[in-house]
Amino acid sequence: MAVQWPLLIFSILLGASSGIMVFLGVGELKGTFKKVRFPLALAALILLVVGGCASAFHLGNIDRAFHILGNLNSGLSRELFGVGFAFIVLLIYTVLARKDYSGASKVLGVLALIAGIALPLIAGASYMMPARPIWNSATLPLMYLGTGLGLGLVIAAAVVCMKGDQKDSGFALKLALTGVAVSIATVIFFVIWMAMAPYPNASRSIDRLISGDLALEFWLGTVGFGMVLPAILVALSMKSAANPKPTSGATVAVAGAEGGNAGAASATAAGAKQAAGLLWATLICLLIGNVAIRIIMYAMATSVESLIY
Amino acid sequence: MTHYTMAIDLDSCIGCHSCAVVCKQENNVGLGTFYSKVLTIGPSGTYPDLEMYYLPVACQHCENPECVSVCPTGASYKREDGIVLVDHSKCIGCQYCVMACPYGVRTYDTAPDKGVIEKCTLCAHLVDDGKTPACVRHCPGQARFFGDADDPESDVSKMIAAKQTHKLTDVGNKPSVTYGLDKCTWKGGE
Repeated sequence: MAVQWPLLIFSILLGASSGIMVFLGVGELKGTFKKVRFPLALAALILLVVGGCASAFHLGNIDRAFHILGNLNSGLSRELFGVGFAFIVLLIYTVLARKDYSGASKVLGVLALIAGIALPLIAGASYMMPARPIWNSATLPLMYLGTGLGLGLVIAAAVVCMKGDQKDSGFALKLALTGVAVSIATVIFFVIWMAMAPYPNASRSIDRLISGDLALEFWLGTVGFGMVLPAILVALSMKSAANPKPTSGATVAVAGAEGGNAGAASATAAGAKQAAGLLWATLICLLIGNVAIRIIMYAMATSVESLIY
Repeated sequence: MTHYTMAIDLDSCIGCHSCAVVCKQENNVGLGTFYSKVLTIGPSGTYPDLEMYYLPVACQHCENPECVSVCPTGASYKREDGIVLVDHSKCIGCQYCVMACPYGVRTYDTAPDKGVIEKCTLCAHLVDDGKTPACVRHCPGQARFFGDADDPESDVSKMIAAKQTHKLTDVGNKPSVTYGLDKCTWKGGE
């Protein structure tokens, strides 16, 4: 089927927002990332709202949207409820994050963590239909969750490295690495499913990815930008944070002159900044990879029998 | 209970496309949009033992219509008599049902004043008036049969009893339209 761009953009922004929610939830449970929780929560909220607006462009009659609660068994209705729940949680969390209400923030952080995991799964599961063999597998919602974690955790870790407490950057980078690893693994699972889906047909053959019309999107977009480059870049960011390169002679001079803690702190800050730069580069690669795998997801999703359309 | 359905005798279908044309006329179906179409299956086999048949396709008015299950607004619905319809006043044009249909027989009407889903209605407006669907009435080969599948004396039940019957691929939706084919090898689902 044709690529549904409004839904594609919605799913990527929703994934990134969910990943940030997971990051905030983990941070609340561990009692870290306090300095950056407001900008991160605000970013997650904006991503969710912009994504929701993008999805509305897919509708033919937005003015009848109130009918959308007519069938609560529909995946689309469940998705709307999920987005509504996440929006409310994020909104309250964002307001509370400006002040220090640690108990309330922790509860909302846990709710955000739950929403951040559930929302991509619900969004992905809404595509599971027997009519489209490529979509009819749990690997699809898992791919939505995994790629969302990759985006969100990388964004959050980059913000921590730039603006957060330097002592938190190590843990944030570990979360980013986990996100990238989960993203790669779930995309691989989804591709394996595509290769073995029932009702085989040339229109959804894995040959289209390996050497056919989708080879560019697969090898360059999904494998190159979506897997190989993010893995290298996130590993380099961890290395930079651990062993920062001196950015200028001044840094070395300051470190040498002052010695002790001040010099070490300066070097750590420089390492965190370098890591942040690498994480933003990782994010760009992941975004390209996310677009590529979703183009493939739509292009391969032909119906069991395409009789008229 | 009444369960309206259609049976098509493929041995009698001459591939004239009259059903597709009269359907567009009766239902005012726009350019580029089809409720019904006739596909050519084959030729298959090795010369001189070749065979070919025509397959008229449209909404299968399934027993478990996935298009109805996934519709978030309830615009896609199944009547008690088995006919699956779309209530355009509720349709938001999300195209979720188009994705959920295993046969690609639903389409999105992009006309500025529409933005809704179109599909075969089994001419419900005629059926409610005690008539048969336009494609059944106008089939020159008399290949199409319409009626109550639960009534053994109906035309549709008699045709199903007399022929070797087949259905399109069933992925759990249970298509209700039956195809009769004795003279060729069925190339479809079941």
